[in-house]
Amino acid sequence: MSRGSSEERSGWLFVLPFTISMTLFFVYAIIRTAFYSFTDYDLFKAPSFVGLSNYTALISDELFLIALRNTIGFSLIVTTVQTVLALALAVLVNHAIRARGLIRTVFYLPSIMSSAAVTLIFLWLFQRDGFLTAIVSVVLAYRRHILLFFAVFAALQGALVLNARRSYEGVSIFDPFFLLVAAFGALALVVTCALAGLLPVFENDLLISWLNTQRQFLFMPVTLWSVALMNVFTTVPTLMLLFLAGLQSIPSALYDAAEIDGANAFQRFRHITVPALRPVTFAVVTMGVIGTLQMFDQVAILGDAAPLASRATLAYYVYENAFPAGASSRIGMASSAALVLGILTIAVVYVQKSVGVKESAE
Amino acid sequence: MLSHPARALAAATMLLGLPAFAEETVRISGWGGSEVAIVNGLLTNVLAEKLAKEGITVEYEPVDGDFSQFILNGLSAGTAPDLFYVDVFWARSIFSAGQAAPVTQDVSGFAANLLQAFTYDGKLFAVPKDFNALAVHFNKDIFDDAGVAYPSDDDTWTTLQAKLVAVHKALPEVDGLCVVPEYARFGAFALSTGWSPLDSQGKTVIDERFRRAFDFYTGLVESGAAVMAADAGQSWTGGCLASERAAIAIEGAWIISALRDGAPNMNLGTVRMPKDPKSGKRGNIVFTVGWSVNAASKVSKAAAKVAEFLTTEEAQQWVLEQGLALPSRTALADNPWLRGGQPEQMASRVVLEGLADDHVSPYFFGDVGGSWMQPINAALNSVFLGEADADAALASAQSAFDRMLAK
Repeated sequence: MSRGSSEERSGWLFVLPFTISMTLFFVYAIIRTAFYSFTDYDLFKAPSFVGLSNYTALISDELFLIALRNTIGFSLIVTTVQTVLALALAVLVNHAIRARGLIRTVFYLPSIMSSAAVTLIFLWLFQRDGFLTAIVSVVLAYRRHILLFFAVFAALQGALVLNARRSYEGVSIFDPFFLLVAAFGALALVVTCALAGLLPVFENDLLISWLNTQRQFLFMPVTLWSVALMNVFTTVPTLMLLFLAGLQSIPSALYDAAEIDGANAFQRFRHITVPALRPVTFAVVTMGVIGTLQMFDQVAILGDAAPLASRATLAYYVYENAFPAGASSRIGMASSAALVLGILTIAVVYVQKSVGVKESAE
Repeated sequence: MLSHPARALAAATMLLGLPAFAEETVRISGWGGSEVAIVNGLLTNVLAEKLAKEGITVEYEPVDGDFSQFILNGLSAGTAPDLFYVDVFWARSIFSAGQAAPVTQDVSGFAANLLQAFTYDGKLFAVPKDFNALAVHFNKDIFDDAGVAYPSDDDTWTTLQAKLVAVHKALPEVDGLCVVPEYARFGAFALSTGWSPLDSQGKTVIDERFRRAFDFYTGLVESGAAVMAADAGQSWTGGCLASERAAIAIEGAWIISALRDGAPNMNLGTVRMPKDPKSGKRGNIVFTVGWSVNAASKVSKAAAKVAEFLTTEEAQQWVLEQGLALPSRTALADNPWLRGGQPEQMASRVVLEGLADDHVSPYFFGDVGGSWMQPINAALNSVFLGEADADAALASAQSAFDRMLAK
C-alpha cells in the first residue's frame, strides 16, 4: 500500500466523527426541515403537502414581520457595540500593568455565568423601580451637580495643561497628574456649592419600564434594547479574550518603529493595531452576527415579563410555532421560519464578508 | 377487544380472586411541585392494596419543567407514559391529535362542567382529577389594623374597591391588591358581566360589558385600590399577600400551599369573587386537570383502571383532607372536612363554591390556544403602564382578535 493512500485513509478517519454528526444532525435535519416547510404537520397526523402556503402565511403574519425586524435590528446593534467594546477592553487590559491577571478574570466573569442566571439577575435589575431605574433617577436628581463637575473639571484641566505648555513642550492633554488635580478641584467646588445650597436636587419618583413595555426606541422595541444591554454584558468578555490573543501576537517592534517615527498613541492604534487584528475582528464579527441572529434563550426566559411583540425574535418565533401554548404544533410554519432564519444568517455573513471586515490582514 | 377464550380466562381469574392483570406495569406521569406529594401519597397510603390486588405495578415519573412539551414530544416519539396529566389549557391539542383514549369508566359522580371541559367531539378523553377556581383571599389582620370591614360574599366590584381604597388610606405602606395584566385573573370580572370569550360564531367581540370590566380592573390602580404586582417586586397577586404588601389576593386554592410556606401564621380569610354591580352576577374561571390514557399504550386497560383508582371518592377524600387539591366529584362537596374552621378548610370551601358561580368558563380557548389571551393581556398592560388609553388599547385588541380568528 502506498504511503499516499494510507495518509488519505487516516485523513478520512480523522474527519469521520465530524462527518457522521454533520450528516445526522445537520444535513438530514435540514432536509427534513425543508420538507416540513412545504407541509401542514402537527407532530401526529401524517404531513400533508401544502406547497408554498406556509411561506405566504409567514409574510402575512404580523408577528413574523415584527420578529424579523426585531432580529435584524438586534443583530446590528449588538454586533457593532460588542465588537467595539471588546476591542476597547482588550486594549485596556493589554496595557494594564498592575494586577493584569485579576483584571482579566474580573472582566471575564460575566461570560462564565449561564445565560439563564444572568437573565434572571437582569430581570431583577430591570424592575420598574429597580437598580437601573435608581441609577437613572440619581443622575437626573443630581444633573446640575454632574454638569458643574464636568464643566469645572474640563476648564481646570485645560488651564493647567495650557499653563504647563508655556514652560515645557509635549505636555499631554490627558496628563495624569493634572487630571487628578482637576478632578479634586472640581469635586471640591461642587461639594461647596451643594453645601451652600446653590445646587437644587430634582426630586423624582421615576418608574421606567425597561422590559414590560410596548414602546419603541428608534427601530427596535425598548425591551430588546434592554436585552441588547444584557447580551453585550455577557458576550463582550469572550470576544475581548479573542482580541487579547490577537493583540499579543502583534510584534512590539512595529510599535517601537512607529513611535520613533513620531506616531502618537491613536495613530499607532489606527495604523498598526486595527489592521493587524483584522482576522480576529472578522471572526468576532461573524460569530457576533450568527449569535445575535439566533438569539433565543434570553427572550425565552423573559417570558411573560415582557409583551410578546416586544421580545419576539425569529428564533423565538420558530419555537412559538413548534410549541404554541395550549394549541397544536404548527411544524410547517416553524420549519419555514427556521429556513428563513438559516438563509438570512448565511446571507448576512456572506454580505459581511464581502463588504464588511475582510478575513485577511492588509 | 379481548377474544372469547381471553375473556373467559379474565373472568375466571377474577372469580378466583387472582389479579385481573397478570403483573402489568403502568407508567404514569404528571408535573412536579406539590403534585408529587399527592400522587405518591395516593399510591402508597390509599391505593397500594387495590393495585396489588389487580396485579398492577405503577411507575410514577413526575416531570419538572414544561409538562405539555414533555408529553407532546413523548407522544410523537412513542415514548410517552401510559397515563398522564392533561391540563384543560392544552388538552385540546392532545385530544384533537387522537393521542388520548376515550374514557370508558362510569363518570356520573363528577362535576358536569369539568367533564364538559374534557369532552372533545362528543367524547370524554380525560377523567378530571381536581380543579381550582378563583376567590378573594385576604389577610384579616390588615383589615383589623386599618379598621375596615372584611371583604364579604356580598361584595360587588365597587364595594370591594372601596374597602381596598380605605385600607390603603389607613395603612399607606399596604396596597389593597396586586393586579396582574392577565386574562387569567381579569377574565373573572369580564365573565361576570355576561360577556363571553367566543360568541356563537367563534368570534371575540369586545363589547360594552367587556369595556365596563376593563375600565374597572385597570382603574383599580388609579383609584388607590391596587398596585401592579411587578411594581411591588412580585410576579403574582399571592406573592403580595404573602409578603403583607397587599391586603387581598385573587387566586385559586393553590395559594394555600404557597402561604403555608411563605406566611404560615397569616390570619387568612376567603370569600367569593365580587359581583358585577350592574348584572349582580359572579364570574369565574375554572382550572382543571385530568388523567388521560395514552391511545398507543400497550396496557391501556390497566392504565384506565389506575386512572379510575386515582379518582375514586376515597382517593379524592384523602387528597382533600390533606388540603392538597379540590375534588372533582360532587359527592365530596359536603365532606365534613370542608365545614371545618381552619383557614385552608374555609378557602377550599369557598373555591369549591366558585364552581357554581353564574358565569363560569374553563381556562381554555379553542384551537387558538393560549395566544388568544395575548391581545387582552397586551391591552391591560399598556393601560396599566399608561402607554395607551383604553380606547386605543381595546381597538388594537379587537383588530388583533379579528385577524387571529379570521384564520
